[in-house]
Amino acid sequence: MTTGAILFAQNNSTVDYIKLAVFAASRVIDHLNIPVSIITDNQQWLIDHYPNHPFDQIIEIALDTSPQQKYFHDGTLASHKLDWKNKSRSSVYDLTPYDRTLVIDSDYIISSAILKTALINEHDFQIYSRSFDLASWRTTLEFSRINQYSIPFYWATVFIFNKNSITQCFFDLIAYIRHNWLYFRNLYSIESYVFRNDFAFSIAIHIMNGKTNGEFAVELPGTMGYSIDKDILVDIVNDKIHILLEKQNHPGEYILSKTQGIDLHVMNKLSLSRFIDGGRGV
Amino acid sequence: MGAVVSKGFLLFAQNTDDVNYIEQAYALALSIKISQSDIKSVSLMTNCKVPNKYSKVFDQIVPIPWTTDTTTVLAGEHRWKLYHATPYEETIVLDTDMLLLEDISVWWDYCGHYDFKFCSRIKNYKQDVVNDTYHRKAFITNKLTNPYYALHYFKKRPQSLEFYKVLEFVCNNWQWCYDKFAPNEYQDWLSMDLAAAIAIEISGTHEQAVDAVSPLEFIHMKTPIQGWIPIPVSWQDTVPFVLNTQGDLIVGNIKQTKLFHYVEKNFISKHILTKLENLANGT
Repeated sequence: MTTGAILFAQNNSTVDYIKLAVFAASRVIDHLNIPVSIITDNQQWLIDHYPNHPFDQIIEIALDTSPQQKYFHDGTLASHKLDWKNKSRSSVYDLTPYDRTLVIDSDYIISSAILKTALINEHDFQIYSRSFDLASWRTTLEFSRINQYSIPFYWATVFIFNKNSITQCFFDLIAYIRHNWLYFRNLYSIESYVFRNDFAFSIAIHIMNGKTNGEFAVELPGTMGYSIDKDILVDIVNDKIHILLEKQNHPGEYILSKTQGIDLHVMNKLSLSRFIDGGRGV
Repeated sequence: MGAVVSKGFLLFAQNTDDVNYIEQAYALALSIKISQSDIKSVSLMTNCKVPNKYSKVFDQIVPIPWTTDTTTVLAGEHRWKLYHATPYEETIVLDTDMLLLEDISVWWDYCGHYDFKFCSRIKNYKQDVVNDTYHRKAFITNKLTNPYYALHYFKKRPQSLEFYKVLEFVCNNWQWCYDKFAPNEYQDWLSMDLAAAIAIEISGTHEQAVDAVSPLEFIHMKTPIQGWIPIPVSWQDTVPFVLNTQGDLIVGNIKQTKLFHYVEKNFISKHILTKLENLANGT
């Protein structure tokens, strides 16, 4: 059985996801020691700008010609409305070259070996529902259930799956939900018009569980840490990450925080990009 | 009284001006017949006239023993009599405003090791176990156990009889017992849950009556425990629900499991009743 990681990278006008993926891939190789492949809509950009990239395979997909848009915050005081190409996640089942695949977002920074245990167990599908916000004052209700009337929330940020007929059904289901997003967002009382993989995964897991508590999705080890895009990454040195966390009731003010040996979802991609470029995200 | 059957469900229903509890009991009995693989016998304790259509679903209809003229809204003064009225050696008692949605044979297996056992764990429709601090202030502040009379088991044994004698005493002297055992967050009505908790306290049967690993549980649809802010008046006005043709009850897109306590009396509509009848008839 082959095991490897997949990163998706589809650039927009401002965020170079391929750059983020190159950085994230090097962290996966350092801490988990597995090959990493990239799924991108711009192979040429990768070859031209990152000729020393660490990828095992480059898998090119078609350009999304009708992307969604959303606001990308860069700290509490700045934001940009940019393209958000997130519709290809369900294709990972067909595109991955591995029998067992770890999929992570390009802004998921591996700083530990905690996922190693998940790469060698027997479960077909593993994902996080448990998470913690580095800024402890912020409410986490939106990451507990997709809304207060509905089903448990799962993060599509990081997951591991084996290729088999059951997981194939799961990814087919995600594609079906995406194609019928208007219906499903109404059915599950989701306010956002924007398609979001976290919601689609949550709905698909719920259906795979027979619409009740089930065992299809097994929790990944530990708890997924995250900082939102209103926080600002300062730097990453080995397994230490410094982040300026949004201060409660004081927009524009921050508290410096440090993590060590913790995998972290750094949602402020703009500050992550600045750090990769110059060693500082601020 | 008919032939003795070893195990069965016993329901108590006494209609009021506002609520047709007999109809609720009929719906629950249908759901038992639909969902249970082995033990399907259902009996009804009532002094009300039961329509022919409804009576067919009950294995036995037994009168309320030792009836008095006074009947309160919740008829608490009669509920302790279930032990004496049951036609079964082993009985599971259910409130009428419930539907049994899945086979609960394992409950019988577990409870068979005890003389009596109360449910002490509830969930909301999201399948989250709920620590109900909203309705159970009297239990918490008076350090009582947390039994739910709406779902309990007993078998005909001397220790069970002793317990029900204590329960009879508490029900008949509930103000005095509340003063003694539940003076904090005082409830000024006879609650069978609180009466059972006091009876457990008096009889010292805590470990017999409730335990953390008991499989007894039900989905409780009182709105304050659904995790909603603000708290709505009616759950039926808040989340979509459907009883489908397979007998699955889906609430807020979540399939409900085992025992569903719908609470709101208007839940049993003609539509729901027809669905249950069709499922019971296999049509």
